[in-house]
Amino acid sequence: MNIRSQVSMVFHLDKCIGCHTCSVACKNIWTDRKGTEYMWWNNVETKPGTGYPTKWEDQDKYKGGWEKKNGTIKIRSTGKARVVPNIFHNPHMPSMDDYYEPWTYDYKNLFNAPEGNDQPTARPISMVTGEYIDIEAGPNWDDDLSGSQIYAENDPNLDGLTEQQKAQLSSVEQLVFFYLPRICNHCLNPTCVASCPSGALYKRGEDGIVLIDQQRCRAWRSCVSACPYKKTYYNWFTGKSEKCILCFPRLETGQAPACFHSCVGRIRYLGVLLYDADKLEEVANLPDDELIEAQREMIMDPHDPKVIAEARKNGVHDSVIESAQNSPVYKFVKDWKVALPAHIEYRTLPMLFYVPPMSPVQATKEEDIIDHSTENLFHDIDSARIPMKFFANLFGAGNEGPVRYALAKQKAVRWLRRAQTVGDITAEMAARMLREADCTEEEAMEIYNLTSLCTFDDRFVIPPMHREEAIELMKEPHEHKQSVGFGFSASPRRGL
Amino acid sequence: MQNLNSSIIRNPTILPRFSQLLSRDSSRDALRIMCILTFLLLVLPMNLQAQDTPDYFRQQCMNCHTIGGGKLTGPDLKDVTGRKDREWLVNFMMNPKSVIDSGDPYAAKLLEDAGGKTIMPLAYGMTKERAGKLLDLIEAESKLEKSQFKGLKISSEPFTPADISKGRDIFLGLSSLESKGTACISCHSMYDINALGGGRLGPDLTHVYERLKGRKSLSAWLVSPGTATMQPIFKNHPLQPKEIHSLVAYFEESANHNEKNKSGGLVAFFLAGLIGSTGLFFLLDYIWRRRFREVRKSVVEGASR
Repeated sequence: MNIRSQVSMVFHLDKCIGCHTCSVACKNIWTDRKGTEYMWWNNVETKPGTGYPTKWEDQDKYKGGWEKKNGTIKIRSTGKARVVPNIFHNPHMPSMDDYYEPWTYDYKNLFNAPEGNDQPTARPISMVTGEYIDIEAGPNWDDDLSGSQIYAENDPNLDGLTEQQKAQLSSVEQLVFFYLPRICNHCLNPTCVASCPSGALYKRGEDGIVLIDQQRCRAWRSCVSACPYKKTYYNWFTGKSEKCILCFPRLETGQAPACFHSCVGRIRYLGVLLYDADKLEEVANLPDDELIEAQREMIMDPHDPKVIAEARKNGVHDSVIESAQNSPVYKFVKDWKVALPAHIEYRTLPMLFYVPPMSPVQATKEEDIIDHSTENLFHDIDSARIPMKFFANLFGAGNEGPVRYALAKQKAVRWLRRAQTVGDITAEMAARMLREADCTEEEAMEIYNLTSLCTFDDRFVIPPMHREEAIELMKEPHEHKQSVGFGFSASPRRGL
Repeated sequence: MQNLNSSIIRNPTILPRFSQLLSRDSSRDALRIMCILTFLLLVLPMNLQAQDTPDYFRQQCMNCHTIGGGKLTGPDLKDVTGRKDREWLVNFMMNPKSVIDSGDPYAAKLLEDAGGKTIMPLAYGMTKERAGKLLDLIEAESKLEKSQFKGLKISSEPFTPADISKGRDIFLGLSSLESKGTACISCHSMYDINALGGGRLGPDLTHVYERLKGRKSLSAWLVSPGTATMQPIFKNHPLQPKEIHSLVAYFEESANHNEKNKSGGLVAFFLAGLIGSTGLFFLLDYIWRRRFREVRKSVVEGASR
């Protein structure tokens, strides 16, 4: 056993209202600099939709993540032999058009326009060229169905759905969408780190946050093509790549990351997981349908004395172990098994988990009469508007099993609460539902509490980062404390 | 490299330094060796001046003049010191064109003898001192029964087809030159060279036989080609008499043909390049047909169809 700690996340999609407050909070703190205009370290996507950058999930195009070849896994986008012939051009990178051309508005015109017969307007101006542009795409073009006939139909997760199911997704009274907030997954087996020819990317030993060293980065942009989630971005001004840093300066001072802190729907949970790094290679090489369970197996019980002893041996501080024992993420992922990683088939073993959302009930249409009523109010999961296969493609590596399990448990919790508060469902019915969903009443109440009544401290169990221990090795901690802050302490420079 | 080696051997001041360097096996001296090599490359042209007078005569004068071998492009220089006084000769050698232009009657006569067009060029590295030395040499050689500068003896027999085809092989570089010289085609073109033609640095040699006025002067030229471009190339790789014989045969035969239409060749060259690069473009496009293309645009275009 080789126990390490990882700051992990759960996003409860059933609670996400798609308000983009997280994106704006992140933008204001981290990516309002020159060269980062197009970057959204945190973005919220509408699903079904093509996302940002367009169709990032289509790895036939972008070649992100790992692929299994000859019994082992290889980086799909690059390799030792492929670096040399592509030395001047890294293929499979999203173009600016695939992200979007960032723009602002000509606000000055509203004040300075000469008097005329028309209201002055603020025309959009490209933040790259400074010219007037026609906006053709944005970081969330899918949102609220804008152009969904063009974009949503191309969602790679629609693979394997029947034509009828696909048609239903956009037909009146059947139409459905949900939101998928995305940040860096801070994976256990990150392709971006593995692909960097300069060794500029690293996974912090003490908390598993994946970072890009701005002094070492040499603008190869291998990480940009290698990351299957397209969550590393190239800053054209500094000539370095950048990515979500999980607000580590905030974490180190005991604050939740900005996107977590600002979340209106309170969908985000953060906590430490202890995992066994020795299993990593074995797990990353397993067949697709075993990945989810194997990743869960890697995450170790923080109450197990053996695990605690091994963690101590690896230098994990007691306070971090204690934090792991209270981790809400551990409950969602390990205890309740309702949170699932997105696209684990890319084999990066992401440490951001999603609770799949419930969706509205399907309507039936008979002779122009649309009927929303069903046998039971909490309709059967398989007749939900979002086809199970869609969730399976997104969260189950193609398998419906884990997703159905997670949704059934959520449904059972609702039945139980309905029986307790409204009373139109009998306690027996609720108990049967719980049995079917592999859930006890106590567990259901815990899920209910952490989902609906959670406080700030329930959601964010931030471990003490003990930076002083890491800094002590090289510097005097007090001296270091005075010399750091937000932003660059030494601004990154292009070239050598 | 051969040029380099010979200049090292000829120049006694360089030799010990170079051997000193070689005897030290430190890799730090690589830089110093580089410096010295660069220096050698710089002084190489000067070495042309450093050679002795007979060599100079052979390289600079013999393509137009003989001593007792009869008139070529320029007059036979046997007893030239008797025909005109030294001062005049030195003056003429130093600047032939201005002497002719000044209306000197003897110079005008020489020009007429040479066909009225060919003005004696100013030899490379000519100085007053060198001119004097050359005249000394000519005076001494004139007294000999058979001067070493009498020139090549050329048979007046008609050339055989075998000679002609051998000459062609030499021109094309199909049979290499005995002293490892460069084949003519590297810089020259010819009426019967197809495809992309020969080199374009030097002139088309189809009518060189007429231009250089026959066998004798053409042979003399080939003994030591005198232009600034050809001289360094053939200085240490002189053509052998047998090779000169074959080449002259080929040139004599070629004089009966028309020169290749140069502009036609250029158009063909340009077209071949255009078609070739377009073909290559499509080939690469096919090889990388599955390359990454803009995703969003293809999604939008796909939808409007």
